[in-house]
Amino acid sequence: MIRRFFEQARLYHKGRRAAFSAEEFALMEIGYPLVTLIFYCLIASYSFQTNDLTDWVIGNAFLLCTNACVFGLGNAFRGERYTGRLRSIIASPSAKLPLILANGLYPALFAVIASACGFLVGSLVFGVDFSGVHLGLAALTILCAMASASCFGLFLSVFGLINDSMHLVLNVVSYLLMLFTGTEFPVAQLPLAGRVVSQLMPLTKANAAMKLLFAPEHGAFWPLILAELATGAAYALLARFLFGFAERCARRNGQFDLF
Amino acid sequence: MNLAVLCSTMRVQMKQSFARPMFRFCLIANPILNTILLYEMYRNAGEENFMAYVVLGAGLMGLWGCICFSSAGDINRERYSGTLALIFATPASFPGIILGKIIGNTLISLLTLGISLLTAVVLYQVPLTLESPLYFLLALLAAVLSFVVISSMVACLLTLSRKTELYMNCIEIPINLLCGFAFPVSVLPGAVQGISRALSPTYAVELLRMSVWGVNDPAAFWNKLGILLGLTALYALLSALLYRRIDRRVRIAATLEVA
Repeated sequence: MIRRFFEQARLYHKGRRAAFSAEEFALMEIGYPLVTLIFYCLIASYSFQTNDLTDWVIGNAFLLCTNACVFGLGNAFRGERYTGRLRSIIASPSAKLPLILANGLYPALFAVIASACGFLVGSLVFGVDFSGVHLGLAALTILCAMASASCFGLFLSVFGLINDSMHLVLNVVSYLLMLFTGTEFPVAQLPLAGRVVSQLMPLTKANAAMKLLFAPEHGAFWPLILAELATGAAYALLARFLFGFAERCARRNGQFDLF
Repeated sequence: MNLAVLCSTMRVQMKQSFARPMFRFCLIANPILNTILLYEMYRNAGEENFMAYVVLGAGLMGLWGCICFSSAGDINRERYSGTLALIFATPASFPGIILGKIIGNTLISLLTLGISLLTAVVLYQVPLTLESPLYFLLALLAAVLSFVVISSMVACLLTLSRKTELYMNCIEIPINLLCGFAFPVSVLPGAVQGISRALSPTYAVELLRMSVWGVNDPAAFWNKLGILLGLTALYALLSALLYRRIDRRVRIAATLEVA
């Protein structure tokens, strides 16, 4: 079972990577996200009139990480439909969750590398000081953020069965993550409804927890981490429920899409 | 070049582009979300007129997004749908058809500026002033011309590759960054500013911003406009050379496919 999971993950990666040379793949997976991080940090530096870009480096490095989880997993069914495997997957008696997770394994690994490179760029280009940060807690925060974002990605992946415009859905979601997670500006700036939405989004609490690691007092670090995990668990449950519903509809109606 | 062919190509292209979910994201959702994002980032920046960085920034980022995900990939899209050979071999000129597509895309993409303006007015009721409307109109015309020529050049370059999707994704943010769509290029390091100065959109953005703030120094405006038109002419020449090269290559190889 575990061997099949890793073999499947490797095959998914091979399928994605096959068309590109190693340089092109590195450009796509790591280079481009880093340029994106630099772009938003430069806007922040000019608009907030500050040289201390710690918050933006952290937030955008996190986004690099989670975007890969969200896009990697969210596109799972779109890719399967495109390659004509959706029928076999829906009809087979095997569990669908390992398949979706296998799809997101390599993107998540590259996302971690991109995220680490993001912190490195933040340190080298924007002078962010990581010397006082507890590395173990920082790694834990990144893992929690990734777990939560992966659950969110699973939830979004079901929308691949409900509509045929996953590019549209995922791109809008990537902007919503920027707007509501406190990555580009403080959540406190949002109106009340926006602040409520921000608490329902993955990453908001992990982002705040990571920022606390840079502060002298870690204060509410653990409650934030637990809240982030709870958010992820809620999305996982929602995904499970929605996928069960979609699967039942597919079997009953004899078609693979709900749209 | 047949004007009827140009016009009908433009019309068909606008309909085809609008039918694609990704284009609809770039055209409608992207400027709305970018306006919200930039407004929240700039609201405490001490900038009185949000037109310069928020509306123009979001509109131009949307416009460039549309170009990246439509004009740049149009030739490849024709190849994918099996119609490239047909439009290449028709009695109407191939560059004329491609130009019609690009002009159609660019014109419809100008909606991003209007959507961005509307979002700022409706959501935030922020002060938006345009000090020199005539200069703005002139700058906008020059910017459109510049974007049409750049799109044509990028479309040519991407025709030579099968990996259009990769490059389409990878040119969006770097151009936003280098051309200063959301902040002045003076924020960038000196060496990077050298690259910015070789790109015509940099001057287009500066001209538009000058006319938003009010043109106090007409000589500086005309000077920048001259540089913009010069660069646009240079790009047009390069584009024509590229088309000739592709045409020759196609005739020698007797195929429109790429290696």
